[in-house]
Amino acid sequence: MTDTANAPVAPKVRRTYSEWMNSKSAIVVTALALVLGLAVGAIIITTTTPAVIDAWRGMFHSWGAPGHALKVNFDNVGTAYRSMFNGSIIDPSGFWHSLTTGKGWTNTLTPVSETLTYAIPLVIASIGVGIAFQTGIFNIGANGQAVLGGILGVAVGSMLHMPTVIHLPLTLLAGIVGGMLCGAVPGLLKAYTGAHEVIVTIMFNYVMYALLAFALFSTALQQPGQQNDVSRTMDTSAQLSPLFGANSGLRVNYGIFVSIAVVIFAWWFLDRSSLGFDFRVTGANPSAARASGVNAKVVVVLVFLVSGGLAGLAGIVQAASTTPQLSGNFLIGSAGIGFTAITVALLGRNRPMGIVWASLLFAALGVGGRAMQGTTGIPLDLATVIQSAIVLFVATPVLVKEIFRLRNTQTNALQLATKGWSS
Amino acid sequence: MTVTDVDGAHEVITSVQSGRTRVIAVIMIVLGLFTLLTFGLGASSHAHSAMSFAPVNSTNAPWSLGNLTVLTRWTNMVLGLIVLGVGIEVFVRQPRRGVMARFGGVSILFMFALLFWAVRTDGPSQVSTFNLTALLIGSSAATMVLVFGSLSGVMCERAGVVNIAIEGQFIGGAFAGSVVASVTNNYFSFYYAALVGAVVGGLIGLLLAFLALRYLSDQIIVGVVIVTMLGSLSSYLNLQVLTPFPNFNLGNLAPPLPIPLLHKIPILGPVFFNQSGFFYLMIALVALVSFALFKTKYGLHVRAVGEHPQAAATVGINVVRVRYINVVLGGAIAGVGGVAFMASQGQFQVGYTSGLGYIALAAMIFGRWRPSGAVVASIIFGVSVYLSYTLQQFNVPVSLYILQMFPYLITIAVVAGLIGRVRPPAADGIPYRHD
Repeated sequence: MTDTANAPVAPKVRRTYSEWMNSKSAIVVTALALVLGLAVGAIIITTTTPAVIDAWRGMFHSWGAPGHALKVNFDNVGTAYRSMFNGSIIDPSGFWHSLTTGKGWTNTLTPVSETLTYAIPLVIASIGVGIAFQTGIFNIGANGQAVLGGILGVAVGSMLHMPTVIHLPLTLLAGIVGGMLCGAVPGLLKAYTGAHEVIVTIMFNYVMYALLAFALFSTALQQPGQQNDVSRTMDTSAQLSPLFGANSGLRVNYGIFVSIAVVIFAWWFLDRSSLGFDFRVTGANPSAARASGVNAKVVVVLVFLVSGGLAGLAGIVQAASTTPQLSGNFLIGSAGIGFTAITVALLGRNRPMGIVWASLLFAALGVGGRAMQGTTGIPLDLATVIQSAIVLFVATPVLVKEIFRLRNTQTNALQLATKGWSS
Repeated sequence: MTVTDVDGAHEVITSVQSGRTRVIAVIMIVLGLFTLLTFGLGASSHAHSAMSFAPVNSTNAPWSLGNLTVLTRWTNMVLGLIVLGVGIEVFVRQPRRGVMARFGGVSILFMFALLFWAVRTDGPSQVSTFNLTALLIGSSAATMVLVFGSLSGVMCERAGVVNIAIEGQFIGGAFAGSVVASVTNNYFSFYYAALVGAVVGGLIGLLLAFLALRYLSDQIIVGVVIVTMLGSLSSYLNLQVLTPFPNFNLGNLAPPLPIPLLHKIPILGPVFFNQSGFFYLMIALVALVSFALFKTKYGLHVRAVGEHPQAAATVGINVVRVRYINVVLGGAIAGVGGVAFMASQGQFQVGYTSGLGYIALAAMIFGRWRPSGAVVASIIFGVSVYLSYTLQQFNVPVSLYILQMFPYLITIAVVAGLIGRVRPPAADGIPYRHD
């Protein structure tokens, strides 16, 4: 770096470059974090794929070997990322085929449809987590809350029989109630005993997995005549059916309107409602909030009700829009949208629109990971690794700027109230 | 607890203590009544229960204790009455000391009553038993891992850094440990595994420290994301490396290293003196960390940094360096804990630490940020983890999935019941900026 104190006019190119980069700091940092995250993924692919390792192992065998190894390396990483892109956004050759012949549009649009399908519940859960983050509350239990929402929602959706107009809203409401129930306990414990919500919500995730297994083997919820951990199937009147009809082959569904409604609700709630204002003040400055008459205990409980309710809604939307029943692996492992929601909320900086973009990105990574696993055999968990790497980079914008030699100015870093166990 | 000179503060502390004593007394009374009514009167009058003491997998035990067979109803009623009596005694007298010791004793009696009730059989001919030695050995495995984890937490949090990533360090240690132990696969393989596990855990700690100390990121966020990352990375590597090359994941168990003579003591011998090296290492580490934190100059520095970093910096302590050292050492301890878990469970599996890292954090809180307290707490959690998986094989009218919830529910209850009353290091979790 040049010594700016002695050189009043810095090199012009560098300055404009920096200025441009800094003008949209948050977006730039996020984009660069994406690049770094993909780089981390490339390193992991390189070091764990047998074909690549074999090629590098033979690099001293002949003069051309190092070049060959490099080519194998790039081919493997390239194929992986290309199949990720093709499987989650668009396959260029298929698109060209559809454009020229007018056929195969279903195949061409499937990746986008899949990404949207994945993003629909993710947006809802992430907004729930984001609202809690904005209040200075770490809701790590969104997955457990989504599981309980799914259980109650599927119970209502499969055991009651009504016309769609009543049944679908009632099913979604049951999901919200489930999430609220599961969220209320950590909220009450935090407000009235001071138990730190991180440990309590994480423990509740495990409790909810056990409850799911219990429910799936119970006579009430288990599919009659089944021995496996599979629930009853929801009535079609309780499902979120595909937008373009069940025979269209595209899974994108009416849940998209639920997501949009949640985004609008979140915007209104945070920016326009007085309760949302109380939430944000509490997150920004707890003592100021107390001084202005906000009841901190009530706010904590309410935050958990809102956040848990949205997570529960995400759970039932997930169930009602894809597989209209629950199974033992519901929201487990890389399908655990409640965990992805935490990273999405951080990436979207807890703002509704930011969360929408972040959800679409992480949904594309998730769906792309599935496609990558199908094409190249590289496990889709790599997508989750890349997602967490991206979030680690976004959480440390200064590090990203140092890596790319950007001038270090004020960034919209993740501003969360950092605190210990006791507060 | 600091005792202040101000009378008002003193009174507050006393009243809080008395309230807490009352709560514990009520819990004990409830446990006593439950034991009396359900485990005692709930068992039929001619049901028998038996307890055996033979060490597991031992054909040539140098000693033998016969089975202890008792009448379920009367034994449990006596146990219930004792629990009830202790509870009433604490409620009425409100003793200043020994409440937690009484509570520990009551928990043990309650556990025995539960087990007697679980293994009861009505007929006189076939008497099913529970093996006390097996119970203690089984619990010691979970306890050991929790002790490693909570020691890691103590190391980090005493220096003022919240280490939520313990679970991730367990996963990393278990994975690396399994690969190293399988690749070397000889007498010393678990020594190598422990070493590599410590390095992996230390590196994860270094990542946490780097992001939290240099870039002042939120420690809880970074910790949670690191756990997510390690979870998915282990799942990725499991499919990409361990599945095609099963030789990397043989699942050897660490061999027991019996201590001459001592391991022949009934019950205590197999539990304490016939364990793998990790168990002895754990005991040594508890002593070492206690000594280092509370009896050395280094420990004084660490605690100063955790309580009041600005003051520590004023007297010339390098706050950031102390925190780096402690977080890396803490990570290494948790990494060894992951190897210890793998060495007692076998083959690495995705997600098989199932939240033990977070339970270890709760144990650390329950143990009031002290190694000795963490050990006591880990024993409680360890026994409950083991029981939740063992009770299934007995005559318990509760779904095994409900039983599986118990360790987590107990953790929640403990955290909720205690956290307001214990005091974490004052600067715990708060980023330090050197100005």
